[in-house]
Amino acid sequence: MITETPNGFSLDDSGQRIVVDPVTRIEGHLRIEVNIDENNVIRNAVSTGTMWRGLEVILKGRDPRDAWAFTQRICGVCTGTHALTSVRTVEDALNIQIPENANTIRNIMQMALYTHDHLVHFYHLHALDWVDVVSSLSADPKATSELAQSISDWPKSSPGYFRDLQTRLKKFVESGQLGLFRNGYWGNPAYKLPPEANLMAVAHYLEALDFQKEIVKIHTVFGGKNPHPNWLVGGVPCPINVADTGAVGAINIERLNLVKRIIDESRQFVEQVYLPDLMAIASFYKDWTYGGGLSSTNVLSYGDIPDNANDYSAGNLLLPRGAIINGNLNEVHDVDLRNPEEIQEFVSHSWYNYPNQDAGLHPWDGVTDPHFELGPNTRGTRTNIESIDESARYSWIKSPRWNGNAMEVGPLARYIIGYASNNPEFKEPVEKVLTDLNLPVSALFSTLGRTAARGLECAWAAEKMQYFYNKLITNIRNGDLATANVSLWEPHTWPHEAKGVGFTEAPRGALGHWIHIKDKRIENYQAVVPTTWNAGPRDAQGNIGAYEAALLNTPVANAEQPLEILRTIHSFDPCLACSTH
Amino acid sequence: MASNESFYDVFRQQGISRRSFNKFCSITAASLGLGPAFAPRIAHAMETKRRTPVIWLNGLECTCCSESFIRSSHPLVSDMVLSMLSLDYSEVLMAAAGHQAEAALQETLRDNYGEYILAVEGNPPLNEDGMFCIVGGRPFLEQLQEMAAGAKAVIAWGSCASNGCVQAAKPNPTQATPIHKVIRDKPIIKIPGCPPIAEVMTGVVTYMLTFGEIPPLDRLGRPKMFYGQRIHDKCYRRPHFDAGQFAEAWDDENSRKGYCLYKMGCRGPTTYNACSTVRWNDGVSFPIQSGHGCIGCSEENFWDNGPFYERLAKINTPFFVESDADRIGLGAVAVVGTAIAAHTAASALQRARSNSNAAKSE
Amino acid sequence: MATTSETKKAPSGFFAKVIHHSTEVESPASKIYVYEAPVRFWHWMNALCIVALVVTGYLIGKPLPSIGGEASDHFLFGNIRLIHFAAGQLLIVLLVYRIVWAFFGNEHSHQLFLPPFWSRKWWGEVWHEVRWYSFLEKTPKKYIGHNPLAQLAMFTVFLLPLLNLVATGGALYAEGEGIDSYWYMAFGWVFSVYGDSFNVHTVHRLSMWVIVCFTMIHTYLAIREDIMSRQSLVSTMISGWRYFKDDKE
Ligand code: HEM
Ligand code: HEM
Ligand code: NFV
Ligand code: SF4
Ligand code: SF4
Ligand code: F3S
Ligand SMILES: [Mg+2]
Repeated sequence: MITETPNGFSLDDSGQRIVVDPVTRIEGHLRIEVNIDENNVIRNAVSTGTMWRGLEVILKGRDPRDAWAFTQRICGVCTGTHALTSVRTVEDALNIQIPENANTIRNIMQMALYTHDHLVHFYHLHALDWVDVVSSLSADPKATSELAQSISDWPKSSPGYFRDLQTRLKKFVESGQLGLFRNGYWGNPAYKLPPEANLMAVAHYLEALDFQKEIVKIHTVFGGKNPHPNWLVGGVPCPINVADTGAVGAINIERLNLVKRIIDESRQFVEQVYLPDLMAIASFYKDWTYGGGLSSTNVLSYGDIPDNANDYSAGNLLLPRGAIINGNLNEVHDVDLRNPEEIQEFVSHSWYNYPNQDAGLHPWDGVTDPHFELGPNTRGTRTNIESIDESARYSWIKSPRWNGNAMEVGPLARYIIGYASNNPEFKEPVEKVLTDLNLPVSALFSTLGRTAARGLECAWAAEKMQYFYNKLITNIRNGDLATANVSLWEPHTWPHEAKGVGFTEAPRGALGHWIHIKDKRIENYQAVVPTTWNAGPRDAQGNIGAYEAALLNTPVANAEQPLEILRTIHSFDPCLACSTH
Repeated sequence: MASNESFYDVFRQQGISRRSFNKFCSITAASLGLGPAFAPRIAHAMETKRRTPVIWLNGLECTCCSESFIRSSHPLVSDMVLSMLSLDYSEVLMAAAGHQAEAALQETLRDNYGEYILAVEGNPPLNEDGMFCIVGGRPFLEQLQEMAAGAKAVIAWGSCASNGCVQAAKPNPTQATPIHKVIRDKPIIKIPGCPPIAEVMTGVVTYMLTFGEIPPLDRLGRPKMFYGQRIHDKCYRRPHFDAGQFAEAWDDENSRKGYCLYKMGCRGPTTYNACSTVRWNDGVSFPIQSGHGCIGCSEENFWDNGPFYERLAKINTPFFVESDADRIGLGAVAVVGTAIAAHTAASALQRARSNSNAAKSE
Repeated sequence: MATTSETKKAPSGFFAKVIHHSTEVESPASKIYVYEAPVRFWHWMNALCIVALVVTGYLIGKPLPSIGGEASDHFLFGNIRLIHFAAGQLLIVLLVYRIVWAFFGNEHSHQLFLPPFWSRKWWGEVWHEVRWYSFLEKTPKKYIGHNPLAQLAMFTVFLLPLLNLVATGGALYAEGEGIDSYWYMAFGWVFSVYGDSFNVHTVHRLSMWVIVCFTMIHTYLAIREDIMSRQSLVSTMISGWRYFKDDKE
């Protein structure tokens, strides 16, 4: 049956049904089902979030100052961003102003998360969609070295280096225990890289695995650990004491030097390894133009990284803010998270009950009431689903909408909005990539565009760490050591009732938390999360979300090995624990 | 020809000589209480042993245990997955997806029954027939129990698998359940923490690979070597605690001097973990060193022992809403004190009355 | 000044002693030897320990304002804890001593441990005491040992909370000694009962407040009874002898 969705897509569920469950190399549990036509082209796509823990239910009745720790456990991959969003939410509700240093340190931590998360995503979660590990065994180490040296100054690039690595890989493969690489889609015709590029990428897969653990030490310095560093309502928990007695128990010169070293190394790794690899790989896949989905029409960003403390207006945010509708790049709409009409969540196709099932709810009035129930056309049983019925409820994810529109969020959305707003920090790198690869602007709206935007953003974030590091040093030099404002710490100083909203741009996109505090306790807490926006199911009108839209019209080379599905879904960097929470 | 990569190969790849390998084997023999004659046998075993298959499952969780695992510095996680073990299933990292991924599980059951280690991150929900966590169309609970059946040993990663963690905090809407309640016939090694420290995770695995046995465990099934002491027992701020020097407010003079965080709610005195000794992320810091008290993330019930910033637990019962032991206690003392005062007055009155009666009757 | 306690023969045998509870006196001698020296010694030593434990225990949970200077020059909090642990251990030793004495001492020495909950008569007397304290009875009955209400109170709001304090205190102390210590072997099970160490702290502290309330009421009533009732109390716990004031010779 062919259906036209109100948001402009055509769905046809008559062809062969392909199921990918579990979708791997993501966070959490996701199921994708598609129908392909006789030409192996995807004509219908169904995205199902298959886990739910109930954080919003669990938060009720708790102390708002503890909420960051609970919400941080929504996800250990984008660790910290929920906590940051949460402390901002509580500060907004209680009208707490944080010190400048706290804002700066929070920004450094958020940018460290970006750098880490994007890097790990590219190499460890996404690369194997483009890189054939087995093919790398037949590479010529010398040619690999030449390739590596032609694209970057990265020192680990000698023929001997690649030869040793290849020997290690060969032994590994010959052992017959392929471990992580077992049962991959190796040899699939959709892999296009020459063996040398594959070998180089595998080398960097391993180097990145060893390096990523360095980046997060910035969280460890300021937050005591990673994953899941510590945060504080009203500031940051790490006091500054650079030179006085007891400085060893606080942020001191040795700690700052450690942070500085990591920032330097991170910038170097991103600039000399990540970006050159990205460009090299992209150059072989230029004609794989699929996966644009909603990106060419509807994108959304809340903005983030307040330059100065306590000012969350668009002008003070270094990451762009706004919404683009119907592909009109000439108009970037304002976004108001408090407006009850703008952001709403729907559950018509989700496993939740609402008082009025088909009406949307603004998060301040949000309800999370689970109800698992499969549609009549489900194949299989309640506890053994062979294929799901998307005409009924089919996901643990809700469907967020902005003014009724399904939106794509994430690095690509941010870059499109930055581009459309003529912000040179975003526009210029995009233009450079497009010229270097000799591609039109429209190439941006694709799976590859999403992957490229993430890489550019990683470099941007690493550089911003440096910017805020300098800012922190300057402020300390000027004698400002404050890291926390405790004037409203004690619950008896709070109003009887308060509402607040906080937001960040999480690595995967726009993230908002909404709180209602009553009698010093959490009355209601709602999170609307990037992967909720992207992976959510259809709404009451039948609008499809970003994942489903992006999969449509993609040809699949081998239906038994749906590599293309992984490519496009991975380009969003799915986080299912986030999406359902 | 398939040549199995053995421990000896691993040692060689890491640049360790034959001589130190032999030395390692004799030290191992000695530390296991075996005579020197056993060293060659250990060497032989290590030279020929296949990499141990590991199946890593994910239930209801946040994946931060996987994230923590890849932070390991010694051993490096790249060495772990390439040379020390065979990570045959990990939804977070594996190349395969869908039925190719599920096939890896079936193959392991078939080829390595009784041989593999099952590592579990997260826990199964029991409500809604387990459908709060679905893998391959079926409840995660089923996958977990199937794979537990053929496992040699089970590792419970993190507080989720060990204790239930955040999704099991009140009211636990999904009935998320720690794995030892659904796997009853296998040794389970609990590595609690939210998440556990990377080097603790890889340390436990390498201990098992190196010594061929599970590490000594405490009363709760945690390896004694990492969970035998409290944060507080080895905290570097302990001298301030003993002296009576405490941070009294965030960012006050005392916190800048690195005083003890006891009054800020630090759970170090009630938390068993290795943070104050091993520390986090290659020894860079740990929560207390960075100024925030321990929240007790490796303890059962820590989510329900909030708020994290009070020393005394909040007690919420139908009678005492928003209270703690001292408020209840002082309230009781006040009631008793008042009652005594009233009773004294009444007694005095009665005595005066009976005295005057006695006087009258005389 | 005629008879002494010898006139009332105590039943012999441990079981008989237990059954033979609070002895109501119909026409007692005016002076009876009730509390043997070990009971009296224990009473006051125990009271002393408890006062020390309550003060230091309170401060352990809610420490005094911080002091300045070098950490190595001070051991204030350490000393507070030290006193607590010393008093706690002394209290345990004393308690064991008191329990042992219950087997050897006179009939009043085991009243504390085994109130005759199974006796209707005894409950009737508890009720009578409640009425006396509520000014509903004109005259209190006379008892050689504890009056039944006191006995009930001492068991439920003193002995049980005290045993709980010992168990939880011992468990907390065992944590400091380490999970391989004898203390842990003796008290480690307490954590399984209360879930975790944090809860054990809470329970320990709550039990303290029960004992504090008991002590307040107990002290008040001891003094009040001394004044209002027909028998001596405070001096009995000092000298061991009970005097019956309105018995005219
Ligand atoms: C009447 C008897 C006792 C009272 C009233 C008492 C009271 C207290 C109180 C109020 C605390 C503070 C709890 C907190 O807020 O964390 C405490 C802690 C403690 N008590 Fe007791 N306690 C008594 C008996 C004992 C005994 C018999 C021991 C065993 C040796 C003991 C050992 C401890 C220990 C080890 C701590 C923890 C100290 C720390 O965490 O630094 N207590 N006690
Ligand atoms: C921490 C403080 C105290 C505690 C825990 C305590 C506890 C006890 C206990 C358990 C008994 C029963 C003795 C037995 O049968 O072995 C008792 C008896 C007694 N106590 Fe205390 N006591 C305390 C303080 C005091 C004080 C301050 C006084 C006097 C002002 C006092 C006066 C008495 C008297 C008179 C008796 C005998 C009651 C009777 O004969 O029925 N006590 N006390
Ligand atoms: N918030 C959040 Fe997320 C999501 N979606 C973010 O980047 O990963 Ni777990
Ligand atoms: S234990 Fe904590 S860190 Fe690990 S998966 Fe569970 S919630 Fe995440
Ligand atoms: S900071 Fe915490 S763990 Fe360290 S000494 Fe103080 S109370 Fe103990
Ligand atoms: S909060 Fe967790 S990380 Fe360590 S210091 Fe406490 S156990
Ligand atoms: Mg939500």
